Amino acid sequence: MSTPTITRKISTRESTTVTLLLIGVALAYLLLFLGLPLVAVFVEAFKKGWQLYWEALQEPDAWSAIKLTFIAAAIAVPANLVFGVSAAWAIAKFEFKGKSLLITLIDLPFAVSPVVSGLVYVLLFGAQGWFGPWLQAHDIKLLFAVPGIVLATIFVTFPFIARELIPLMQSQGKEEEEAAVSLGASGWQTFYKVTLPNIKWGLLYGVILCNARAMGEFGAVSVVSGHIRGLTNTMPLHVEILYNEYNFVAAFSIASLLALLAVVTLLIKALVEWQAKRSGEPLHHGA
Amino acid sequence: MSITIENLNKNFGSYKALDNINLEVNSGELLALLGPSGCGKTSLLRIIGGMELADSGKLLFHGEDVQQRDARERNVGFVFQHYALFRHMTVFENVAFGLRVKPKKERHNEAEIKRRVHELLNLVQLDFLHDRYPAQLSGGQRQRIALARALAVEPKILLLDEPFGALDAQVRKELRRWLRRLHDELHITSIFVTHDQEEALEVADRVVVMNKGKIEQVGTPDEVYAAPATPFVYKFIGNVNMFHSRDHAPWAAEHGDAVAYVRPHDIDISRIAQDDTALPVEVKLVRAIGSIVRVEVALDSSSEIIQIELSRERFDSAPLVIGDKVFIRPRQFRVFESGVLNELSAA
Amino acid sequence: MSSFKAHSVLPGFNLALGFTLLYLSLIVLIPLSSLFFKTATLGWGGFYDVATSDRVLASLRVTFTTSFVAAIVNALFGLIVAWVLVRYKFPGKRIIDALVDLPFALPTAVAGITLATLYAPNGWLGQYFAAQDIKVAYTPLGIVVALTFIGLPFVVRTVQPVLADVEAEVEEAAASLGAGRWDVFRRVIFPAIFPALLTGFSLAFARAIGEYGSVIFIAGNMPYISEISPLLIVAKLEQYDYAGATAIAVIMLLLSFSLLLAINALQWWSSNRGAR
Repeated sequence: MSTPTITRKISTRESTTVTLLLIGVALAYLLLFLGLPLVAVFVEAFKKGWQLYWEALQEPDAWSAIKLTFIAAAIAVPANLVFGVSAAWAIAKFEFKGKSLLITLIDLPFAVSPVVSGLVYVLLFGAQGWFGPWLQAHDIKLLFAVPGIVLATIFVTFPFIARELIPLMQSQGKEEEEAAVSLGASGWQTFYKVTLPNIKWGLLYGVILCNARAMGEFGAVSVVSGHIRGLTNTMPLHVEILYNEYNFVAAFSIASLLALLAVVTLLIKALVEWQAKRSGEPLHHGA
Repeated sequence: MSITIENLNKNFGSYKALDNINLEVNSGELLALLGPSGCGKTSLLRIIGGMELADSGKLLFHGEDVQQRDARERNVGFVFQHYALFRHMTVFENVAFGLRVKPKKERHNEAEIKRRVHELLNLVQLDFLHDRYPAQLSGGQRQRIALARALAVEPKILLLDEPFGALDAQVRKELRRWLRRLHDELHITSIFVTHDQEEALEVADRVVVMNKGKIEQVGTPDEVYAAPATPFVYKFIGNVNMFHSRDHAPWAAEHGDAVAYVRPHDIDISRIAQDDTALPVEVKLVRAIGSIVRVEVALDSSSEIIQIELSRERFDSAPLVIGDKVFIRPRQFRVFESGVLNELSAA
Repeated sequence: MSSFKAHSVLPGFNLALGFTLLYLSLIVLIPLSSLFFKTATLGWGGFYDVATSDRVLASLRVTFTTSFVAAIVNALFGLIVAWVLVRYKFPGKRIIDALVDLPFALPTAVAGITLATLYAPNGWLGQYFAAQDIKVAYTPLGIVVALTFIGLPFVVRTVQPVLADVEAEVEEAAASLGAGRWDVFRRVIFPAIFPALLTGFSLAFARAIGEYGSVIFIAGNMPYISEISPLLIVAKLEQYDYAGATAIAVIMLLLSFSLLLAINALQWWSSNRGAR
């Protein structure tokens, strides 16, 4: 009897054709939906040359929009950072009743349309709102002014840092902190010397995502801003106004700055992911 | 420093983790809390360390109530089961931590900290690793660093939670001998938690056997092995054969419905009946394991296996083969009433 | 002592939780509750009138269908992208991988004007569609394009880690038992990643329902045809119809929550089926 030939091949890989086809489809899809728009922003911005691009950015209204965007982010990100750290400390290091409800509530702003996020502040502080008459009587302007924009920005970026830190700190447990306390460290020393170094990459990761959203938020801010040029327009709102005035070059010039911010965000994010992997700190991906 | 525990209770919800614990730990002794998982030993250790609070009862260090004292102020060194080394600090910084977080006026200067840390690292024989990170160490090395870190603050009491639990067998054996020698050098009152009877018997001055939140027995390793106070201790420490008096323990029959506990090495084998209470059995298995020979026999009347251990010399003087019909009789046994922890007699 | 919190040696619980609850209440809970109080001022009759007005119903239909289609597109292509990123090696993979998160990082207004320009009848892509007599920008199709863009990372990022965790051994075992490659995927891999796929789908879907910035530029915003609900809210606000705007917001919230609940239930069911 001759040796039987093995006819059945064990297949744990796809054929080359299928592999190439899948890679092709994936790349085509990503280039069409992500690559092309990203390139298009810069192409449209420089369509009429450097000169016009540069002028568009130096326009006073554009300038004030850039400033307002940075102010809003500079308040919203630290505020949510403090919140994120204290929420994660309470949730990850202690056992208490109602914890999972609290986690759900923290995620709530993600489940709400940006427009609705703006709307709720109109309902609170608008002329017909709960605090409207009182604010008017004391001549305090929250809505259609900078404070309203900051509040709306805080709302939409509310969960970013907390939901990055909570799973991270939960996965790290509390033994190291207990060890620190048993060695005589105070609460602040424990946090500063033991907890913080262990979460630094996760913290940075959350801050970067939070900042990107804070600077780019459109819907919520649009509702509370009042669209006063040079006063209550953030960069995304200014893009809208310019675009609706058919001033495409100017619109895309500002947009190109925001796109640059996005690219830098992605770069830092990749860098942080790489660093975190190296230091063995598990990141919780996705926003 | 001595530790006194009086009527200590701890519940987690409806689960009784500690049920009226009373215990006296002598100054300078090395005590083992031994028991199966969930017996409450770790809860007890954490309460002593101040990581948990008892629901009721007293906890005294050298006669002084410390229940209200914060973990930071108890002067207790705690070695965690998974070591809990600070992963972002070098070995040196880990050991130095307790010295660096002292309040300003009590803090030593940098040179003194350096001297002390190196002294401790030399004590645990790992000074050459001082600039490594925990991730670069082996399990046994981490364990010793964790110990050095706990010792840095000069604790009066040292608590160790399953100190060798995460190590493989060979390292574990070496480390526990090392811990014993270290304790003999330092004489700090030390308590360690373990589920490994061999570990407890080999290392500790005294062993506390726990089960279901209660203390079953406190005694020297020899006492808990040779004179177990309860059936649980018999079963948990060492091997044991159980003979139900009614069926097949004529030598214990006077106790009525009871169970006799007999260690495998406390049984004599003979070709002729030693006396009228000897049990006729058949040899089912003979296996030489190192210096002892394990013989398994079965009563003629049942299929239950009885384990017997003989020294090699003893076995060689009267060899057995499978199928031999022989008689057995216990040299030493204890009788407990069935199902009740009530000791009736000991032979 | 059966207390609210288990004992811990770590300090700062009261401060941390207290601040967390205060901040959560001030920023999120109190403002959101105003939605329901405001709606209540309409009464049931008024609420019903707003909810069932033709324009509102049409906007809800547009919002939910386009969101659903976009989420389906993302589920399908997101699965392929995740597969390719996990299983194959090719030049530039790390850049592509990082690029997937672009919709998270790119402000929606920028995405909106860019997509509108690209898909306009004279745009880079729009001209090819126009040649086939297909209008993309300023139609519901345009809305789908925008929503596909903003939902793209969700499916990829939820499926990716789960797919990477599927043990090669399980696949090898299946293959050694005679299963072909497609069988292995269908019977072994797909069931393992299905719950993650569903999560990604529902996240993309939920995000799409609320989306505003990227849509309004490309949608054309024709009432009854390409007007999404968030835009209708803004329109009502501009007419100072606060109660009407709030009613639409509440309807949207209720619809999305019940949908997410249904998807969660489906997910629970499918993962429990797979659990051994």
